[in-house]
Amino acid sequence: MNQYLRHRLSLTRRHFLGSTGAGIGSIALNALLNRDVQAAPERSREKPLALRAPHFAAKAKRVIYLHMAGSPPTLDMFDYKPQLVKRDNEVAPDDFIEGKRFAFTTGKPLLLGTPHKFAQHGESGAWLSDAMPQFRAVADDLCFIKSMHTDQFNHAPAEMVLYTGFPRMGRPCMGSWVTYGLGTDDQNLPGFVVLVSSGSNPSAGKTVWGSGFLPSVYQGVQCRTKGDPVLYLSNPKGMDRDLRRMTLDTLGQLNELEAERIGDPETRTRIAQFELAFRMQMAVPEAMDITRESKATLEDYGAKPGESTFANNCLLARRLAEQGVRFVQLFDWGWDFHGTGAGTGLGKGLRDKCATIDKPISALIRDLRQRGLLADTLIVWGGEFGRTPFREGRTAKSKVLGRDHYPDCFTIFMAGGGIKPGFTYGATDELGFSITENPVTVYDLQATILNQLGLDHTKLTYRFQGRDYRLTDVFGNIVKDVLA
Amino acid sequence: MMAKSRVAVSCLLFSHPMRIPARNVFPMRHWCILFALALVAATPPLANADTQQVDFERDIRPILFANCVGCHGSDQDEREGELSLDRADDALSDADRRIIVPGKPDESDLMVRITTDDEDELMPPPDSKKKLSAEEIELLRIWIKQGATWPEHWAYRPPERHPVPIVEDSEWSPRWIDRFILARLENEGLRPSPDTDPVTLVRRLHFDLIGLPPTPEQIDHFIADAAGRVSNEPSTTGDAGNPVADLPQFERAYERLVDRLLASKHYGERMAIYWLDLVRYADTVGYHGDQDQSISPYRDYVIESFNDNISFDRFTREQLAGDLLPGSSNDQRIATGYNRLLQTSHEGGVQAKEYLAIYAADRLRNLSSVWMAASLGCCQCHNHKYDPFTMKDFYSLIAFFADVDEDRHFSNGGNSLPTRRDPEAKLLTKTERARIAQLEAQVAETEKELLRLKKEPGADTAELKKKFDRWSHLLKEARSGARLTMITKAIQPRQIRVLPRGNWLDDSGPIVQPAVPEFFAGLDITDRQPTRLDLANWLTDQSNGIGGLTARVFVNRFWYLLLGNGIVPMLDDFGKQGELPTHRELLDNLAVEFIESRWDVKHMMKLIAMSRTYRQSSLEPASLHLRDPYNRLVARQSRFRFPAETVRDNALVISGLLVTEQGGTSVRPYQPAGYYRHLNFPKRTYQHDVDQRQWRRGVYVHWQRQFLHPMLKAFDAPTREECVARRPQSNTPLAALALLNDPSFVEAARVFAERILCDGGESTDARLAFAFRHAVSRVPDARENDLLSKLLASSRKRYESDTKAAGELISTGQAPRAENVDPIELAAWTTVARAILNMNQTITRN
Repeated sequence: MNQYLRHRLSLTRRHFLGSTGAGIGSIALNALLNRDVQAAPERSREKPLALRAPHFAAKAKRVIYLHMAGSPPTLDMFDYKPQLVKRDNEVAPDDFIEGKRFAFTTGKPLLLGTPHKFAQHGESGAWLSDAMPQFRAVADDLCFIKSMHTDQFNHAPAEMVLYTGFPRMGRPCMGSWVTYGLGTDDQNLPGFVVLVSSGSNPSAGKTVWGSGFLPSVYQGVQCRTKGDPVLYLSNPKGMDRDLRRMTLDTLGQLNELEAERIGDPETRTRIAQFELAFRMQMAVPEAMDITRESKATLEDYGAKPGESTFANNCLLARRLAEQGVRFVQLFDWGWDFHGTGAGTGLGKGLRDKCATIDKPISALIRDLRQRGLLADTLIVWGGEFGRTPFREGRTAKSKVLGRDHYPDCFTIFMAGGGIKPGFTYGATDELGFSITENPVTVYDLQATILNQLGLDHTKLTYRFQGRDYRLTDVFGNIVKDVLA
Repeated sequence: MMAKSRVAVSCLLFSHPMRIPARNVFPMRHWCILFALALVAATPPLANADTQQVDFERDIRPILFANCVGCHGSDQDEREGELSLDRADDALSDADRRIIVPGKPDESDLMVRITTDDEDELMPPPDSKKKLSAEEIELLRIWIKQGATWPEHWAYRPPERHPVPIVEDSEWSPRWIDRFILARLENEGLRPSPDTDPVTLVRRLHFDLIGLPPTPEQIDHFIADAAGRVSNEPSTTGDAGNPVADLPQFERAYERLVDRLLASKHYGERMAIYWLDLVRYADTVGYHGDQDQSISPYRDYVIESFNDNISFDRFTREQLAGDLLPGSSNDQRIATGYNRLLQTSHEGGVQAKEYLAIYAADRLRNLSSVWMAASLGCCQCHNHKYDPFTMKDFYSLIAFFADVDEDRHFSNGGNSLPTRRDPEAKLLTKTERARIAQLEAQVAETEKELLRLKKEPGADTAELKKKFDRWSHLLKEARSGARLTMITKAIQPRQIRVLPRGNWLDDSGPIVQPAVPEFFAGLDITDRQPTRLDLANWLTDQSNGIGGLTARVFVNRFWYLLLGNGIVPMLDDFGKQGELPTHRELLDNLAVEFIESRWDVKHMMKLIAMSRTYRQSSLEPASLHLRDPYNRLVARQSRFRFPAETVRDNALVISGLLVTEQGGTSVRPYQPAGYYRHLNFPKRTYQHDVDQRQWRRGVYVHWQRQFLHPMLKAFDAPTREECVARRPQSNTPLAALALLNDPSFVEAARVFAERILCDGGESTDARLAFAFRHAVSRVPDARENDLLSKLLASSRKRYESDTKAAGELISTGQAPRAENVDPIELAAWTTVARAILNMNQTITRN
């Protein structure tokens, strides 16, 4: 036992009284009066990621958030509007358009049905378009919210408000709040991992996995599929693992000598962090190595080792979730279906794009269920806003169909994690212009996700610039009707 | 009496576990302490609290703010029962309602309402889920009984010089700073820590004032100077030196050291690191494509200004309104880059009006955080709930900046690198101009000499001619080296309206003129439109402005830079929701001193650095940890990991790689390949510097807001989107990985190893001593020596059996390699050097 600890443990009643040079009366009064010295204790600096109890019993232990960056046209995937199909190519009714601004549309746009065929599937009768054939098998696992809305109609601000509760940079994202609130189970892996596919970060950049004003330890760690999965994870050239181990042993002992001499707990934290870094060197590449999966599993997901596809990332999400990573955030680029090119056209473009998520997501749900993980893993799928029920202005005359940005309504779905399976919540009017029942804001969604993790969104706060901030800002109601 | 004593016990039981942060060792201990407390607390009765003076700020305001002001706040539109409990006049002056009757708690409606059994009457209302504790009610009662004094919030009272307190131990220090600190410690039954040893002191001072470690020679020089001798004997003192206070010789040597460091050109670089965080300086625009922008001369202006010690009021004026100063100089124009540091979006199709509103709010948040430590950002959408600021104040302050020309990039600031953010100007910094002047003189002199020699037949002018050509070339280069930088240019002011709920689409709000917050008086200009210059003057004018507040804000930050904590813990929030100063009178005296010194920053830094408070040991005895876990009473110095830039600079100095050139365009150290892979508009590839710039100080590193260099990020450098007055201090595996594997550090280890082998003597012991002295300013003890010798032996064995690996390791980085060094030996020592560079103490200021 070192001197520091001995010192601590030698505290006695006599010592405590003696050191203050006063009786209990003044100590008690000090307790009342000297709040400036006692003020708010900081969260443990030594173990910021230590496991913390939730506010109440949690339904979900972890989240896998599948974000379709650019915002998918849910009218062509899940939100079937027969009337819209019927009135295809009609001029959009004035009362839906008046007083509204759109990103790329002015004047009188034309209504746009869908080039895809819809049918109901599963016992729940979920509407699915034929662009999502594999979803038929998991239809009864899904809980659709068809009445999402936001107040931002450009990608970056909309993504930021969805993930940080604020349309501009500077605030912590959902995954950071969650790791701040709960810590992490697995001490060999980061608690919050981000995986990006289809070649680009979301428009809002790393802000949507940044820790904002929270300590940086809570930021999302982007695991890369090329190069080091985590930055600086590899040993320098010419330094093998054995020598690395020896170096760390020496370093640990040198630091231990310092800890004994100085007694600053920060030194021991440093030792622990170097050890964790060492373990991560083993654990992360292992977790990120999908060649360890069976051929059947790879085929289920449509994953191929060496690629950085959404399919690979779905499989990685399962591997990470399995190992206790608290928040796995996927971003897939390329969902901005304006119809400005074949790839962003609602016909073949969307069909091809859907094919890259249809199989992997349904495989992910099945796989999690098989492994008994679906019950306490919350899957969320969606974009940052919706898309218009009419053709966007720039491409209105093109052969390729496209839709403009639309913040007023959109569809997302959730699965697992204590959410009602085979359920649809909220609705829009027959043309998909406005919400007719049970509107859900992005703040409501945030509050609901936190709730499933056992966190009260009004109590998860952090003091910054003189204010207690929270993810949901001053908004947010839990969507109780979707809870199982 | 029994009831009171129970209150005391429960209070202790609840407060103490919070005062002991969870440690990763023996949680049992807490219970021991609790048990001891319960034992002692159970017996003697509470002293008569009525005889102790209750302090409104410290004891009462927090209760009102936590429980009452949410509903009974300052916002007239939203308060309940037309009662405000955050302002004295409302709560005290209403004679009819008898809410608070000074001296008479029993007649005060407040006491009745907080103690009643009637649930309909009870305050706070039961459904608010707020509840006053018995001790809080008791404090309120005592406070009213003692006269219910309700002074203006401390931060908004002008600072005044307070008499220096009388202390029991007048021997400890004659300095007034120390007297304030000691008086409070004595009052708490505590003692200051002993002075730290001289070596630690020199290290601390170097890191605090110039952000670089001392060389062993500098330490030896100081030890010799302090002992009144000049000698080159290496010091062998480590952490355990002798107490050194009160020796006049030592005092003088120490003061010389402080002066020398304050005069060092590296002082400005160290101060700039802090300032650039405050003003959110970055090399990229921030939003969307995060394109490069032209601003590096502003960074150099900041460094030069701190080095030249220009007064802080002038520093303020030049940045906010340098363009409005009569005959505005080159440097003043560069300084106005401050107004352009906010983030901009260069995305096609953004709504200019929306973004101008965003920029305006961004600017106001920064201005109020930097100079006023006020969270005015709240007032973008609503009146401040706790502080006396309104939405109108927010937009009226914005109106000062309505003349800043900044919307041109919407049309011409595209996706190029760098992008354009007009207005920009090509300007030479002061350092660059000085160099040009020097070169001009050299060229002129050489020319004269050449002319003279021409007249002397047979004189050999070849050498001189060469010199002349070289200098002429350098001069030409220097003259053309002016860099583009964003400046402030005044145009016809835009119309500024209050935006209802911050909504830029809503044009229904009233138009506002430039004005300072109504709560503060001072800017009485009626005959003309007030300008940014008036605002800058108002910020630093004690009698006709808020100079007193600004002075407090900054002396608090200087204190933080040197002591590791602010006297007010929240460095950017002096509002009523913030925390109180632990030493209000000391803060006042420092603020007054700052103003009376004519805003002399070096004077303040020296004053604090000379104090004995500063020179205390940073060791924390357990008893002190229990009493004051966050070191708010300053019974010791602080101990903390270096800021990110210093982690880098320190390794560069130790290895001998640091290039100390000042100023210039930002530099690009090694960075993992593909780190910018997802950065679009335009796509870009990072190319690290291949010349001397590779080893320049961290303050010059290219600051990419969205993709800050991962090593800086891992060590908590902020992305510079908002004002950061205090960086968080994390301790993460990512930081460990960066320190171990970032090629900058591996290269530093390799070059350090060369240095050890070439200059560190022949024996392993001598070399380890050399290495340790360079890294941590002391020689290793026997155990450390033993551990590192063993590592060396194993590493040597490993590389003897794998020379290819040795070759790879010692090829890290682009620094040239000494030719006469055995590769295996070098690789083996690189391992050792790397371990030393990774030690916790190597990156800790104590």
